[in-house]
Parts: sequence; structure tokens; C-alpha cells
Amino acid sequence: MSTLVIKDLHVEVGEKEILKGIDLTIQTGEVHAIMGPNGNGKSTLLSAIMGHPKYRVTQGSIELDGQDVLAMSVDERSRAGLFLGMQYPQEIPGITNSDFLKAAMNARLEKPISLFQFIRALDKNIAELDMDENLAHRYLNEGFSGGEKKRNEILQMKLLQPRFALLDEIDSGLDVDALRVVSEAINSMRNDHFGCVMVSHYERLFELVPPTHVHVLIKGQVVMSGGYELIEKIDQEGYEWIKELGYELESQEERKPIILENCGRKDNSYHG
Amino acid sequence: MDNYVLSSSFYCVVYNGQCIKANLPEGVDFENHTICFQNQKPVEIQFVYLLDQNESMDINIVIKEHVEVQMIETKIFENHSHFQKKIYVQESAMLHIFSENDSSNEEDIYVKEEVFLQNDALCQCGYAELSDGCYDGKYHYYLQGEGAQAKVRMAVLSKKKESKHYEVFIQHCCPLTYGQMDNYGVVKDEGKLIIDGVGSITKGQHGSASHQTNKIMVFDEKCVAQANPYLYIDEYDVKASHAAAVGKMDEEHLYYLQSRGLTKKQAMHLITYGYLKPVIAVIDNKMIKERFETALSKVGA
Repeated sequence: MSTLVIKDLHVEVGEKEILKGIDLTIQTGEVHAIMGPNGNGKSTLLSAIMGHPKYRVTQGSIELDGQDVLAMSVDERSRAGLFLGMQYPQEIPGITNSDFLKAAMNARLEKPISLFQFIRALDKNIAELDMDENLAHRYLNEGFSGGEKKRNEILQMKLLQPRFALLDEIDSGLDVDALRVVSEAINSMRNDHFGCVMVSHYERLFELVPPTHVHVLIKGQVVMSGGYELIEKIDQEGYEWIKELGYELESQEERKPIILENCGRKDNSYHG
Repeated sequence: MDNYVLSSSFYCVVYNGQCIKANLPEGVDFENHTICFQNQKPVEIQFVYLLDQNESMDINIVIKEHVEVQMIETKIFENHSHFQKKIYVQESAMLHIFSENDSSNEEDIYVKEEVFLQNDALCQCGYAELSDGCYDGKYHYYLQGEGAQAKVRMAVLSKKKESKHYEVFIQHCCPLTYGQMDNYGVVKDEGKLIIDGVGSITKGQHGSASHQTNKIMVFDEKCVAQANPYLYIDEYDVKASHAAAVGKMDEEHLYYLQSRGLTKKQAMHLITYGYLKPVIAVIDNKMIKERFETALSKVGA
């Protein structure tokens, strides 16, 4: 059994502090759901755990079975057993999906996987995820539809067998059938050696992959933790009730009506 | 001068302008610096061009009407050598070339290639320019018949103190012609690379299309890189596009690959490989592909 412990995590992007002291403990065998309005730090939390260079940890710690995750490079974190299923997977020209997948699998093996074993694993998972067979030979995510990209993330998760998967809005861009296929794939991985943190806005995903723990992230802090009942409440009532408990929500970016103003002024000076 | 590898059962080795070794298929002749293709069936053939220091050579290639040829070119040139080649692709002929430059010179080499295409002729060429040394290459294509098509793809590496300059030029001399070039470069160490992509459509060549992409990826601070697109168009009824970019490797691409466990070095190698690899798609020859992959290790990312 493995444990991922996050303590008092503060993270900045640019000059702005996004996470303001997150405490979270996840064990294998558990599935945690993180909910919260847009712009409150859910994706930042997952990216900071994976080590995206844009996110600067200013305080706190992340430990995986006692190992200091923050001291590891991104690839070391991956090989240590962390996986981030990204909200916007990158498109990389020239690299075929299968070359990439093989390189990723070999990165964590002492002896490279045989071509036969690799193809067998790949074919099996492609079939289970109901993916287009040609995806393996196409360039990495290039020209993939939104749903294909998300399935490709899940394919990687299945092939790499991480200890902890962080799934960032893995359900966005999926139609009903694809959502079912992806949910089944996540469920098939659930066991005592696999833990999962999911970020999503929709109850549907959590219905299909029921979490053991639910957290609400507001303004960079976990303001509430509980079980499935939290999801139901948010689904019915939104986040307004949280305000009533005394928490302020992070407002969306301010709107500046610059363009119209400028046009108006130009027009005035022309006539005046 | 014998450090070349033959990768095709038909071949012709030309040393300072003289044919020193050859196995030519039926319908292919080499006489007076001119190679003429009149083969009935499509052929694959390799040409090895060898040039000593200060030497020069002129080669003419004629592809007769309706003939199909897959050509592998291996160029091994020494300092201050001059190479000139003219290719005439006649009506409805099809020519695919994969051209590898295996020179390891210190000072300049000058290469000028001109390809003339008649009605409905097609020439598709992939240049793998991974040589060690300075280089000045001019690759000019003249679309002289209706329906003629030229598709050029180039993969260049300039490293150490190498200085390389390429000019890829496609001239549309007839209506309904198609020209496309995709020039990709990688510069590292103190290397210098200039790529000029030129597309020209003169008045009256309606229905033509000229497309180009020039991209250079820069690895180190002391690199010098320029990607210059030029489009000269004097006709309304045409399609044209160009793109040019010089920049570092995409950080998000690196992060994505690293997040799957690849080290930074492995990730950079894979990205560079993917960036230059499409050049071998013009020809279907396993040995060439393997050799190209080995040559790519020079990138050493």
C-alpha cells in the first residue's frame, strides 16, 4: 500500500498565489474527487503534484511513501508512480503514438519490452477502450478529437500502471458512450495498489466512478471534505450555499471593455 | 572515397564526373555525363556522387515520358567542391528522390540542382542534410508544363561551427502547377543555418498553388538561425501560403513527454526525431530508413 501526503501546499503561478495551504492524504485503494468552481486551483493542484515548471511551490511538502516528491524532476515523479491525465494533452508532430507509448513503458523497465509483448498490450487496451486501431500509427494526439485525446490519456494510464493517477477533467469532451468506456477503464484499475484523484465538474463521472472521498476546493484551500453526499448537494445547488458558510469564491477574471471604448473615442475625435 | 553504402540492387557510382561502378537496370543509360531513364517498369536506383577537393562535376538526368523512378542519392563531397545537377522530368513522368548528404568536410561545398518539369510531371524530393561541415545548396524547381508538381521536404542539421545556407526555389512557369516545400532545421552548438524558401508565380499562371513552411529549432545560445519565406506572385487566381518560425523546443511538449517518464534527453531526442523524420516518407526503403535513424543520432539531443 502506498500513501501520497500533501501538507500545507502553497503554489504560485507568476506573481499570484493560487494554492494557499492544501492538506490532503491519499492512499492506494481510494478514489478522491476534487470539486470547486472554475479558477479556484483544482488543476493547479494536480499540475503542481506532477511538477509542471510554470507552477512554483513556495511552501509545504508532497511525499510519496516518505519520498520527497518536490525534490524530483517531472520524469522521476512519473517513474516513481505518479500519472497526470491532462486536461489538454499536447499534440506532438512526427512522433507516432506507438513509438511514444513504447518509449514511456521502457522508461520504467530495466529491460526493454519485447515488440511482441508491447503490441499485445497495446492491442488489448485499444480494444478495451474502443479506440480506432489506427491511432497507434498516427502522430501523438495530432488531429485527434477531444474524446480521442482523453481516451489516449487513459490508454497511457493503463499501460504505465501508476500507483497514483491524477485525472484532470478526463470526462470533458467525451460523449455518453465514451464516458462509460473511460469510467469502466478507471474502475478496472481500482485495487489496493492504485489510488486516484479526479477533478471534474460533472456528477455523471462520479456516478460511474464513485469516489471514496470528496473535497471542495475554494480559493486555494480545501474548505470541506466528505463523502458522496457532497457531490449530490453541489449538483443540485451549485456552490452558492458555500458562500453562506462564510467562504468567498474566487471571481472569474475581470472584464475590461477596452475595445468599444477606444472605438467610441476615435469616432468622437473624428467628428469633433 | 569508398565510405559509402549501397542500399539498392541497382546503382551507379560517379567519381569526379566519371562512372566508376554501376549496375544499371534495363532502359537506363549513362553517357557523356547524362543519365537517361526509359525504363518500362518503375525502378529504384541509387546514385553515389563522390567529389575530391577542388573538383567539380556536372550531371544531367533525363526521365522520359511516363517513366517512374525512385532515386536514392548519396553525396560525399570534399572541401571547395562544386556539384551541379540538372534533371529533366518529361511529360507524366514521376520521380521520387531521397537525397542524403554524407559529406564530412571542413570548408565550403557548393551545390546547385535544377529540376525542370513538363506537363503533369511530378517530382517529390526529400533532402536529408545531416552532413558534417559547411554547405551552400541551391535547389531550384521549374514547373514548365501544366499540371506539373514539385514537392520538396528538407531536414537540416547545423552543429558545432558549421555554416549552412539553403535556397529552395520553385518557379511556376505554367498555369495549374503545384509547388510545395517543407523545410525543417535544427541548429545546435555554434552552428549557423539560413533557409530561404522562394515561391514565384508569374502573370497568367492561373490555378497554381505555392505553399511553403520553414521552421528552425534552436538548441543553444550561440546558434544563428534564419528562416526566410519569399512569395512572388503576379496573378490573382492562385493559392499561396507560407509559414516561417525560428524558436526553441516547445516546453509544453517536453513536459508532456517527461510526465510519462522519459528523461529530458530522451524527450528532446524523440521530439527532434519526430521533427526531422517526415523527410524519409518520400521513399520506401528499409535500409535508408535505418541509416537515416542512425544519422539522426548526430543530433545528440
